[in-house]
Amino acid sequence: MSAGDEDIIRIYDETASLIADLGIRGRITVDEMKFLLDLLELVLIKKDKPNFIDLLKQWKPGQGDEEIDQIIKATLLNVDFKNLLSLEENQTMIEELINEKFKDGVR
Amino acid sequence: MNVNFQSALPDELLMDMESERRVLSSMLHSEDACVEAYHCMQTADFYVPKHAAIFDLLCSLFEREIRPTYVELLKEAHSLGMLNNPRDIEEVKYIAEHYIDDENIKYWIKRVKDKAKIRRFVDFLRNNYQILRERQEQDIEQLLMNAEDHLTNLTALEIDDKIDTPEDMANLGYDEVERRFLRYQEIQVKHKGVIPLDGLPTGFDNLDHITLGYKSGDLIILGAQTGHGKTAFALHTAKSIAVNYGKNILYLNTEMSREQIALRWASILSEIEHDRIRMGDISQNELSMILNGYSKLRASGFYSYPCPNLTPEKTISIARKFRSQKNIDMMIIDYVGRMEKQDPKLQEWQILEQIIKTQKLLAQNLKIAVMVLVQLNPDGSLQGAKRMKNECDLMLKLSPFSKEELEENEELNKYARKPNYYLYIEKNRDGRSGVRIPINFDLQKQTMKDAERVGN
Repeated sequence: MSAGDEDIIRIYDETASLIADLGIRGRITVDEMKFLLDLLELVLIKKDKPNFIDLLKQWKPGQGDEEIDQIIKATLLNVDFKNLLSLEENQTMIEELINEKFKDGVR
Repeated sequence: MNVNFQSALPDELLMDMESERRVLSSMLHSEDACVEAYHCMQTADFYVPKHAAIFDLLCSLFEREIRPTYVELLKEAHSLGMLNNPRDIEEVKYIAEHYIDDENIKYWIKRVKDKAKIRRFVDFLRNNYQILRERQEQDIEQLLMNAEDHLTNLTALEIDDKIDTPEDMANLGYDEVERRFLRYQEIQVKHKGVIPLDGLPTGFDNLDHITLGYKSGDLIILGAQTGHGKTAFALHTAKSIAVNYGKNILYLNTEMSREQIALRWASILSEIEHDRIRMGDISQNELSMILNGYSKLRASGFYSYPCPNLTPEKTISIARKFRSQKNIDMMIIDYVGRMEKQDPKLQEWQILEQIIKTQKLLAQNLKIAVMVLVQLNPDGSLQGAKRMKNECDLMLKLSPFSKEELEENEELNKYARKPNYYLYIEKNRDGRSGVRIPINFDLQKQTMKDAERVGN
């Protein structure tokens, strides 16, 4: 196992523990905890869906329309990561919402 | 004198917390380690109740084909109301941090299991001590015999080491005879004298008739020279079992890519020439036929695992995984000569012998049929053939008829279509051997069929 692999495993373990800890302490909701754990798995273990990850990077919550942020968050919490169709459908929807949010060109 | 065995012994003799954590951590981070632990361990091997619970959760995820990662463990535990306070999370995190490398998984598993055996031995001592104290008047011979019985069970380490008593053997023998008697009756009445298969269909009626199919625990060796249809035979077998018969099989290929294997199926299932399919030189109608063929493959039990760097150890791990998760009835290794050499000092035939022995054990332990494809020398012989023959249950050789024989053997003219290949049964543990089965092998369409005699 290379040093890089070891680092990734360490980051994965630490982050998963942190998310679970926040969930158990009630700092985030159960749905938020599940979403973040799934996202962590997608990025570090499955190393899949780079388009989806890029899309999330474009989101920039807190900037622009707050209502759209809420809709995007609710959509994300409903994503079933094991269902490819659900992921793709929600990805399209989120993409449209982000475009709507930044339609005036503020990115 | 009152002896408390548990407290009289140091903790480190009864448990090994570090090894338990290492096993669990390896299961969380490596699928191979998970397969190994799943097959070799039981919940009771863990001393710490929380470790045992985590092991159960990981096994449950694995059985449902969910890779038991740390994240999946956290989600599963949460949904079951376990690991519900920050201290629990700290503990699991501590376990996860124990991962070093799954290469050592067997070592850590052995350490955990050894401690479990010591604990069982301590239980044995305590129970017998208790009996001695409470029932001082009893028959000492009987007491010793009972103790010996228990001790024997402790030393017969694995479940597979069961010893048959005379009663067991008699019951087993009678059950077997009765089963065959009832089957014979059924053959006479229901099947009008045609013997049904005992195992999986071979794809050739004549071979089915002689072998009664590939049975669980069987090791089948198929030998052929380079370019003489090893893969075509393997996929023909796969078609017969996974597509036509609906059973699950695992196909390990050491030299072809996923695309090549997928493309082969197009010819096999549509009976359209492989060269034309490869070039794309097909009509719209043929495209529909191929699509129809693939829909059969989609609904079949064919699992393929292209694996250029296959080792005997890896076959064990993969077979165990697919047996647990997909309930495979057969595994085909195409082909053994391409497997990675573990020890460069060994001769080729010694390596082959080792691989064959491993596969036979695997077939018996997992109760599946294993078919291994081997390459014949240009003269039709096989290196280390005698030793391989000893290990296998069925040894087949696939060869083309020589040009001379095709011209001179009158017998071959008695077939509706002159056979161009034959299967030679070199060994058959359960029936006739030394038999040649003529077949028609269409190299272009990659299909094989029994040669049909005129008038049949």
